[in-house]
Amino acid sequence: MNDKIKPAHQVGPVSAFFIPQTMQIGIGYLSFQHVITKYSQQDAWLAALISGAIILGILWVVLRLLENERQFGMPDLFSIHSRIFGRRIGTFLNLFTVTHILLFTIMFLRSYVEIVHVWVFPQMSTFLFSLIFCSIVWYIVSGGIRTITGVCLLSFIYLMPLSILTLFIVPHAQFANLQPFFDHSPVTLLKSCYKLTHEYLGFELLLYVYPFISHPREARKWAFRSVLTTIYFYTTALILAIVYFSQGEMQNTIWPTVTYWKSVRFPLVEHIDIIAIVLLLWSLVPNICLCSWIIARAVKFTVPKIKMKYSLIVILALIISGTTMIHSGLQVKKINDVYATYGALIIYIYLPILLFCQWIKKKCGRGAAS
Amino acid sequence: MKQKAVLIAPLIALLLLSGCLPTSILDDVLLVEAEGIDYLGNEKVMGTITMPNYVENPNPGSAGAGLPTTASMLRHLSGVTYDGKSLVDRFQQSGQMPIHVGKIRLMLFNTAMAKKGLYKQIDLRNRDPDSPRDMNFAVVEGSCRKLLTSADYQTQIPVARYIQDMIEQNTEQNYPESTMESFMYAYYGDYMDPFLPIIRKQGDHIAMHGLALFKNDKYVMRLSENRVFTFKMLFQKFNQGVYDYEFAPNKHIALKNVHTDVNYKVKNGNSAAPDIYASVNVSAQVRQSYPKTLSKTTGPGMEKKLNKHMAKEAVQLVRRFQRKQIDPLQLGQHVRSYTRNFDGKSWPERYPNARFHCKVDVTIRQTGISE
Repeated sequence: MNDKIKPAHQVGPVSAFFIPQTMQIGIGYLSFQHVITKYSQQDAWLAALISGAIILGILWVVLRLLENERQFGMPDLFSIHSRIFGRRIGTFLNLFTVTHILLFTIMFLRSYVEIVHVWVFPQMSTFLFSLIFCSIVWYIVSGGIRTITGVCLLSFIYLMPLSILTLFIVPHAQFANLQPFFDHSPVTLLKSCYKLTHEYLGFELLLYVYPFISHPREARKWAFRSVLTTIYFYTTALILAIVYFSQGEMQNTIWPTVTYWKSVRFPLVEHIDIIAIVLLLWSLVPNICLCSWIIARAVKFTVPKIKMKYSLIVILALIISGTTMIHSGLQVKKINDVYATYGALIIYIYLPILLFCQWIKKKCGRGAAS
Repeated sequence: MKQKAVLIAPLIALLLLSGCLPTSILDDVLLVEAEGIDYLGNEKVMGTITMPNYVENPNPGSAGAGLPTTASMLRHLSGVTYDGKSLVDRFQQSGQMPIHVGKIRLMLFNTAMAKKGLYKQIDLRNRDPDSPRDMNFAVVEGSCRKLLTSADYQTQIPVARYIQDMIEQNTEQNYPESTMESFMYAYYGDYMDPFLPIIRKQGDHIAMHGLALFKNDKYVMRLSENRVFTFKMLFQKFNQGVYDYEFAPNKHIALKNVHTDVNYKVKNGNSAAPDIYASVNVSAQVRQSYPKTLSKTTGPGMEKKLNKHMAKEAVQLVRRFQRKQIDPLQLGQHVRSYTRNFDGKSWPERYPNARFHCKVDVTIRQTGISE
């Protein structure tokens, strides 16, 4: 397992841009304004910037962890766990992080199904949809990491029109809504920052993909650019939502982005919102693909005998059953909350501690050697 | 073999899935275009819906563009129901084909309904994912049912489109924007109240008839047509519209607006009587004038008169709003955006005492091609 990845199975350094970017921008893009502005009203965009800056710091931690690990073999989280904590505890910690990824796939798939239920097809069957969807995922993941990265790139290209749609807000904008600037206490801003974690999560998946990226030095630059792009998208989306909705209306709107899409009108194409929601399926595909690939790799790492193509089927069955078990919008909201708290725990607390442990290990190792 | 199975499985699933979902093909549904609600009293309303009726193309040579030739479709339905009932569900039982909301353009309320309060109707529209946000709301003087179902209009196009076109072209001129989008903005927003245009049937056509100003969801004050320009001038930037000024009895001058913008400044926003300063710049051209009163030399004098007159009108207008305790101009929002730690709770009590100052600067760009 500790063999180096063959160059034929590696992807170029630019993938470090597309992978975290597509993982971060997802279903949260449709509804996050509603949650964030609850605490810091017109200053919410400031929270997006602060939170983004913190995420850049965490990204540095992630890359540091991986680079320190390179000299000992595979630079990914599984190897870090088993090297620092030993095989048994390492496996347990793998389970801890991989559960979060499984939760991510179920949360994402189910939230998307909920949006389709509300906006497009109330009668759509959750089970059949996730079954078809997961068979597509199975097909893509069978192609390996290179195919998955390709899908990430495609997703980025296909979702570009959605960000252009946002420009139609500008004629309706009430820029006075943004004033007065900086009128909120740091506590409310931090609350908003915490809520934004849900949106920024996803970049930490680099921890698993990193060994497959060639030219790590360049890849690191692309990773930072990717998070900067995400910050740009979220900050502009927030500012535009603030100038477009009055605060009372924003608190009344569950999916501000989609509600705004409802007001875009083209001469021949009505209901841009429905088209955009269907197009958003393209943000779902790479997310679920990469996540199930990671889980399959975790299985392979723990029990090398099981081939990835077999474990993948079990994983997808798990995802389908998990998705089907969630019935109501309230449960979707709850699983979103659990996912966000869990994720915040991992990136804000667990990863820095891990970096510290790695450092201790290095010191101890040196002491023993000399 | 295995690969084939992989390919076939999703196809079968796709077939199954499409079988599960109800389809709504445009030719086989009735798309509601307008809803009208007349209040009858005692929580009962008379609801009316209209559907487009595609009349057969009169020129058979150019037909075949795929237009359904369904002149025999239902055109309108009306009936009594309770306030807040979704009219589409109410009339499903009398639908010739399934009735859908899809592309609703217009929602009309008669004055009794608007005076009674629209909160149930607004909630209904705001909850509905199907209704587009650029649809228009309007208050009807008279009966919505008569307005929507009359067959004696000069125009042949469906009445919903006729009314929407009329409202839209007017909002580009004297009338402020009043789509669902701006109505919801003001209705749910803090420190502001919504407004809607008033329309009424005049013989064989329909006309705009001023603005209905709301206090929360209740219609409390009517703004007549000749004040609408002043209202819009204080409300938003715009670049068309006509202002009629009677500078002496029976002597008029009409300004065609080229560009208007408005800026607000606020002082002492948290005091008991905040000062609100509005400065309006109007640049206009003269379309019509009383003979021999206006030329290039007498222009500046007229500008000064206009400045004074329009500012006075604006202040009077705001005073009327303050007396009724309504804020359709969103002055509270301006005060909020200029005040740190804005005290929102006491704003409703402070608003009537706020001092409104207005400065208008009219520039007459040109007076026409004759001296």
